[in-house]
Amino acid sequence: MGEIRTRDFDVTVIGGGPAGMGAALAAHATGASTVIIERNEHLGGILRQCIHPGFGLTHFKEELTGPEYAQRFIDKVSESGIETMLGSMALAINGGKGNERRGGGGAGIPADDVCAEREAPAADGHTVTVMTESGMVEISCRSVVLAMGCRERTRSEIKIPGSRPAGVFTAGLAQRYINIENLRPGKRVVILGSGDIGLIMARRCALEGLEVEGVYELMPYANGLHRNVKNCLEDFGIPLHLSTTVTRVIGRDRVEAVEVSRVDADLSPIPGTEQIIPCDALLLSVGLIPDNEIAQAAGVELDPRTRGARVNQDLQTGVPGIFSCGNVLHVHDLADNVTAEAERAGKAAALRALAGRGTTGSPAEDATTRRVDIAVHASGLAGYVVPSRITRVGSTKLFFRVKRPVDQAKLVIRSGGEVIFTGKPRGFKPSIMEAAPLTVKMLKRVGEELTLSIESIEEL
Amino acid sequence: MAQTFDIVIAGAGVTGCAIARQLARYDLSICVLEAANDIALGASKANGGLVHAGYDPAPGTVKAKVNARGCALYGMWSEELGFLFRRTGSIVLGFSEEDRAHLEVLEANGRANGVPDLEIIAPERIREIEPRASREATCALWCPSTGYVDPFDVAIACAENAAANGVVFMRSAPVRAIDNLIENAPLQAGGAPLSSQPVRFAIHTPRGTVRARILINAAGSGAAEISAMAGGEAFQLAWRQGNIVVLDKEPRALMPLYPVPTPVSKGVIVTGTVHDNTVITATAALRDPGDRDTYVSDVEALLAGARKLVPDLDTRRVVRSFAGGRAVIQGLNDFLISPSSTAHGLFHAAGIQSPGVASAPAVAELMESLLREAGVTLVEKPDWQPRRRAPEDFDRSTTEHQNELIESDPAWGRIVCRCETVPEAEIVAAIHRTPGAVSVEGVKRRCRAGMGRCQSGFCQSRVLEILARELDCHPEDVLLEDGGSWIVDGVLKEDR
Repeated sequence: MGEIRTRDFDVTVIGGGPAGMGAALAAHATGASTVIIERNEHLGGILRQCIHPGFGLTHFKEELTGPEYAQRFIDKVSESGIETMLGSMALAINGGKGNERRGGGGAGIPADDVCAEREAPAADGHTVTVMTESGMVEISCRSVVLAMGCRERTRSEIKIPGSRPAGVFTAGLAQRYINIENLRPGKRVVILGSGDIGLIMARRCALEGLEVEGVYELMPYANGLHRNVKNCLEDFGIPLHLSTTVTRVIGRDRVEAVEVSRVDADLSPIPGTEQIIPCDALLLSVGLIPDNEIAQAAGVELDPRTRGARVNQDLQTGVPGIFSCGNVLHVHDLADNVTAEAERAGKAAALRALAGRGTTGSPAEDATTRRVDIAVHASGLAGYVVPSRITRVGSTKLFFRVKRPVDQAKLVIRSGGEVIFTGKPRGFKPSIMEAAPLTVKMLKRVGEELTLSIESIEEL
Repeated sequence: MAQTFDIVIAGAGVTGCAIARQLARYDLSICVLEAANDIALGASKANGGLVHAGYDPAPGTVKAKVNARGCALYGMWSEELGFLFRRTGSIVLGFSEEDRAHLEVLEANGRANGVPDLEIIAPERIREIEPRASREATCALWCPSTGYVDPFDVAIACAENAAANGVVFMRSAPVRAIDNLIENAPLQAGGAPLSSQPVRFAIHTPRGTVRARILINAAGSGAAEISAMAGGEAFQLAWRQGNIVVLDKEPRALMPLYPVPTPVSKGVIVTGTVHDNTVITATAALRDPGDRDTYVSDVEALLAGARKLVPDLDTRRVVRSFAGGRAVIQGLNDFLISPSSTAHGLFHAAGIQSPGVASAPAVAELMESLLREAGVTLVEKPDWQPRRRAPEDFDRSTTEHQNELIESDPAWGRIVCRCETVPEAEIVAAIHRTPGAVSVEGVKRRCRAGMGRCQSGFCQSRVLEILARELDCHPEDVLLEDGGSWIVDGVLKEDR
């Protein structure tokens, strides 16, 4: 009783959504023995409840629904022989090294000294502790790919005042009730936040016969993709109220109304603009946050702006052998982009694992590649940039988003004082994840750091 | 025919539950009536969870007596009842000479109240005890006996232990009326068992009438009404409302850090919790009775107050903000713990504002001695069980024990709440405890499913499904908390 099973793989992928499946398929194709650990009883992650179309336009050159997009990868995974551990949750990487919270003293709780033993992984390898319905499993592997996705920002994080009745849902939870559980989370809905999930849920509620009072957005612009504003709100006659936010939840047991207020240029509610909107449900689409708890516990350093790991061009985190991709790295706009990123991470994780086995070379250790150490920063209107570090010379891409929409701006890449690249003036939107190519030629002119900047033409 | 109990306790907050637990060892029939559908739904769930040491209350008050004693009892109560309690000590930070003078007053108060080992300390010592405390602090009062708990956990543990010893809990049973069956007959002193005393009260609730020889009023914000209905003294309750913020977990829980108190409250306190979150507690404002709203101004005051004590605190990591009301007896800056002067057989434990959680075990002890003084004979039951068998806590178990649990039932291996690592079996157990969880929030208070950073965004639909299954009801009958707090109102498509 109580004995823990052990398994060995080259690559352990944590998460079986689009990122995890993309990474696992790429790792497997590179020749690595690969396992996917998935919390739910099915692969596919959040795509299972995204029954709307709009997926696959880049990757498959056709328009699919979320479940259809996921199914293509699920089929490939089951054909490939990649091992999948469903209904299984990764509890810790390397015993949660760097995390002092388990058994953290006080209250007479004995420190879990078994943890200490596990803290020392096999030389240059990793262990992942997984709970499954048939018991705990300890997986030893050379590489780990983090693909846990993200969670939704809650009411508490944006501090909406008022009462705390039933009927306040994150948009994704409401989506689950409607699309998976066949349950109605209310009859008269107000949506706060014009992110893509909020827009899609406005349409979904309307299609299911719920009254959608409106979508309210704190910012002076819509946060979701333009196509969603058009297809989900305009086509359904659902009003979008910009520069307006929910300033109070009203109702003792169940939401009875919300108070909304206009906000000023500093995003502060303007007194006197309050309006009471009767409703029985408030859906929140107010941002996504990478779900990095076990990564942090394993000592992976995060970027405070993305709340994802700091990674290099191969999507390797600061902990050698731990890679990150998809929404756990930075919140993506399209599942297709998640897949593309995950494939890079899976391949790099496999190459590292196989190099350790002596089977093939790793990109980082290839004798012909020049090693460098370049810190990558975002500046100007660029809110963040991934990767945050470049450790070898090779053509790559810099992914970023702007902080606010701008009609005419230039992308400028600098190193030291020198301008390495200047793009043509164009518009940028926060809803779109942008990619800037970084060529070997450009990299040769870069010193110890590199700055990607989006500079508004009007402001120059 | 109404059931008759020796003692009826009105109110299943931490005070009522602690009294029930204290009296459950004796050969008495006891019933706890609770207006809400769960234990600890009033002030007991909405506070900072601090077990204050007792240097605040003015010496000579009832508060002073029960606070220090209650704090001292927590070690034993947590051990017997199996709830988490950390006696960490606390620091009151002073930032000026004026503050130092105030700390000296607190120290003297504390000494008078019997608070052990108080000491004024210098900045170097502050940093030793809590390196994250503000460097601006020039002096502090070190109080080693302070601790913290999850306050609802204390009430639930008391209730479960009381129930295991025969106490009957009737929830969703608000008292509508009380008949005094006999007038002007004091309790008979000495010797006779309580069961031979006359039945004095008929207490009417929507769930039926119960009759009582003795009525204990621990009804929190409803205490004035209970007193009036039972023929007790008239008093007015004011609603002192406080907002509280919970932040995400820290690698190491913070030591409780207090500012120098204001005339009405202890000020904005920062403390760790038994689950390593950080709690910022509490604002204090007189608001309309029943107001449990959070306010922008309060939350901002909390975050600013917290940063003053712990400058590096990341106050963006808010997991939850909430509000609670304390029922304060107007004109009495103290607890009212005494036999009624007008209604024989009625005993008050009323006006229990802060520090109600810290005081609860001592309030229970005091209530026992008041009963004895009134002539009630208490005979210990031979089979009385002082210990509660604490429920399994998967997240806090060793990997080996987790594995044993999963081997015993695969439902221990099915994670429902990912933030707090709560498996399905733990939720099922929370529902089937006595008194068990009947709502999503009731599940949360018992096993932490939904307590974490995603605030049940991922697990609420699963918890709802498990509640409907275990309670054999429809999803639309599952409540978030009490009353009309429905979550879903039916299925979308009947033919699915």
